[in-house]
Amino acid sequence: MHIIQFNDGPFSIVIIRDHSHQVRMHSAFTRCHALAAYTVSVLAGLTFVCFVTTAFRDYSANADINTVTVLVRNVPDYSASREKNDMGFMIFDLKADLRPLFNWNVKQLFLYLTAEYETPSNKLNQVVIWDKIIQRGENAVLDHKNIRPKYYFWDDGNGLRGNKNVTLTLSWNVIPNAGHLPILVAKGNHRFTFPEEYTTTKM
Amino acid sequence: MGLTDWFEALHMDYDGQARAEKFSRIIILLFGIVGFVWGYVIQQFSETVRILGAGFILAAVLTIPPWPIYKRKALQWQKVRPVKAAEGESSTEKKETKKKK
Repeated sequence: MHIIQFNDGPFSIVIIRDHSHQVRMHSAFTRCHALAAYTVSVLAGLTFVCFVTTAFRDYSANADINTVTVLVRNVPDYSASREKNDMGFMIFDLKADLRPLFNWNVKQLFLYLTAEYETPSNKLNQVVIWDKIIQRGENAVLDHKNIRPKYYFWDDGNGLRGNKNVTLTLSWNVIPNAGHLPILVAKGNHRFTFPEEYTTTKM
Repeated sequence: MGLTDWFEALHMDYDGQARAEKFSRIIILLFGIVGFVWGYVIQQFSETVRILGAGFILAAVLTIPPWPIYKRKALQWQKVRPVKAAEGESSTEKKETKKKK
């Protein structure tokens, strides 16, 4: 650092020549800024290491699904074509212990129950009929009896009546603080058959 | 408030500001590491963030205001030299260029 001094008339001028970039006068604002920036950098680093500690966790678990009542109707689907389509309905039990899935990098689980079946027109049909969000701290032991579907189980034709192979599976999406969002299918599913006759009465 | 008062109120000396920065980084890093370990033990990342936040506040209190310990090695300025009345141009730089000619 060079300090040059002029004595010019009635004024005295001092020029500070700063040749090094490290040597600078910092104001309180500069220090606030540097501190905030450094804290955020450290936080980003910690978040990344948090992700690394859970990156290779196994988020699989068992689920026990059982149907209590199964029936199929043939009713007009006013939301689509107004043609009569098959609509499945079942009351089911669901049991699963999802506590081991939670760790410090899991904010919530998004659970969804899917019905999978094959029809002559489609090799694979998948319909989500129920879902649930479990946030960290909430009860992660599922023991539901007699659940009704949250969403309609529509087929896009008449593929449900007498269908011998409909599979219910529970899947979940793990939502972390940082990292990827894995989707897993529970071990254990339930297979059932739709009845040969349409139900016409109200339940 | 004059310029020098303002300077006094907000600035440290060069040695002080270097120490303040080093000090703040040590505090933040230390709280970060401790928070990380504690958060891992109780499996709650929000606690890690909270402890880091406490470190930020502590570092802010200790290293942002120009406390007296950061003002121990003030720059020693030269005294203002008296005006040389004999010469019309009196700047030292100009004098040097003249000499070179």
